[in-house]
Amino acid sequence: MIFLRRQMPLLITLLAGLVFAAQYYVPHPASEQLLTSVTKWLQIIGGFALILGVSSLFHVHAVKIRRKEAGWGYSFVLYASMLGTIAIGLWANGKEAVDGTITAFGWIYSYMMVPLQGTMFAILAFFIASAAYRSFRARSREAAVLLVAAVIVMMGRVPLGEYILPLSGDVSQWILNVLNASVRRAILIGVSLGTVALSFKIIFGVERSYLGGGKE
Amino acid sequence: MTFAERMLKIDRRIIFLVIGLCTLLPLLNPVGLPIKISPEVRGVYDYIESLPEGSVFLVSLDFDPASKPELQPQSVALLRHAFRKNLRVVAMTLWVTGTGLADQIITQVAREMGKESGKDYVFLGWSPGGTAVIINMGQDLYSAFPADYNGKPTKGLSVLQGITNLRDVNYAISLAAGNPGVEAWYVFGKDKYKFELGGGCTGVMAPGLYPLLRSGQINGLIGGLRGAAEYESLIGQKGKAVAGMDAQSATHLAIIVLVIICNVFYLSLRKAARQQGQSRA
Repeated sequence: MIFLRRQMPLLITLLAGLVFAAQYYVPHPASEQLLTSVTKWLQIIGGFALILGVSSLFHVHAVKIRRKEAGWGYSFVLYASMLGTIAIGLWANGKEAVDGTITAFGWIYSYMMVPLQGTMFAILAFFIASAAYRSFRARSREAAVLLVAAVIVMMGRVPLGEYILPLSGDVSQWILNVLNASVRRAILIGVSLGTVALSFKIIFGVERSYLGGGKE
Repeated sequence: MTFAERMLKIDRRIIFLVIGLCTLLPLLNPVGLPIKISPEVRGVYDYIESLPEGSVFLVSLDFDPASKPELQPQSVALLRHAFRKNLRVVAMTLWVTGTGLADQIITQVAREMGKESGKDYVFLGWSPGGTAVIINMGQDLYSAFPADYNGKPTKGLSVLQGITNLRDVNYAISLAAGNPGVEAWYVFGKDKYKFELGGGCTGVMAPGLYPLLRSGQINGLIGGLRGAAEYESLIGQKGKAVAGMDAQSATHLAIIVLVIICNVFYLSLRKAARQQGQSRA
């Protein structure tokens, strides 16, 4: 049993990792066919992962409702809306519109999900303004530099800013293209090297946390 | 409590009101200030402009309704341009929550431009797997999407004639609000299958994509509502993005003024505290 739980997954990971790292450099049709098949598997696993995610969400909220934990009412709303949407979605065959006519599922999408998500995102503008007023202060020299750069970029990204301060457009372009791009690139290189290192650790079985902490 | 202290602890509802008014008033009374075209947006426009009629243009609408105000105008402007150039448009999404929105956008623009589904364009919809879908499309488009969004088999659609995988795409663009998006299309798509790639994204994401732009990994970038407004100006069909630029101008300016005011009060308080400290000493 230990072999199936521990060694077997490590062996599969090692083989899959090495084979697909090498596959990238082998343009032979057999190698390409292997990639085609495996990505198809990935898509199928992705579909099942969705089912797993939804069932896990149902389970978590069912427990909350049963135990009447704090905020169980929200869980009930989530349950009702999810079940309702799934039922209507299945009834509408997953289509928002058929021959240009909106279905019940499409109505939920267009008149509930779209405005709700839009509202959530729109509220951000108000909170960002309030947070900027409260916390964007020149407490140190570094903060002052950040503040000046932010003001220039904000001016340079809108027509009114460019109209008031014509140079702001070019300066903001320079900040984005030179300062921002170089720092972002440094971060990207660091993250990529970290990802490569982590991949090696997973492939060679040094990093095993993905196996879970179950009993041996 | 001094005036400066009172101002620093101002009721946030006043700030909300200022932002609300700065958004609403320009929308009701647009000024229409000229919009300068940036080289990154021009990069996308020029590339599409250089494509011959019948070229394959893949647009991946990788966003959900939360980013609709910024990315819908980008999608509409790009699709109008592609349809006007008589390109073969292949649309899809990597975001399941964006499927309905993507369908609405492509159907609306195609109808407006008199284009026919299956002949001039196809909407493939969404397929599970995230970035794996890109690799699968790179290997075999019909395996990733055996049927389009309306359930028609993709094999045999005249718009897809001569296309077997991503290598046959002349230009692809991902309009993304996060991951999977532009970066995924570069890493899993362009890098291996060698098609030209452009990007579009929300305003907050744009700075993060500049390294890809500067290194030529993407040939252009449409950033936020500003990018959409620039593209609308380029195609000469002003829409929601140009209309929204005045509101964005006013809110940006309001935030800048608020930040300056808060810093003036903050520095004056700090100076007063320092002077008090010196007099005590």
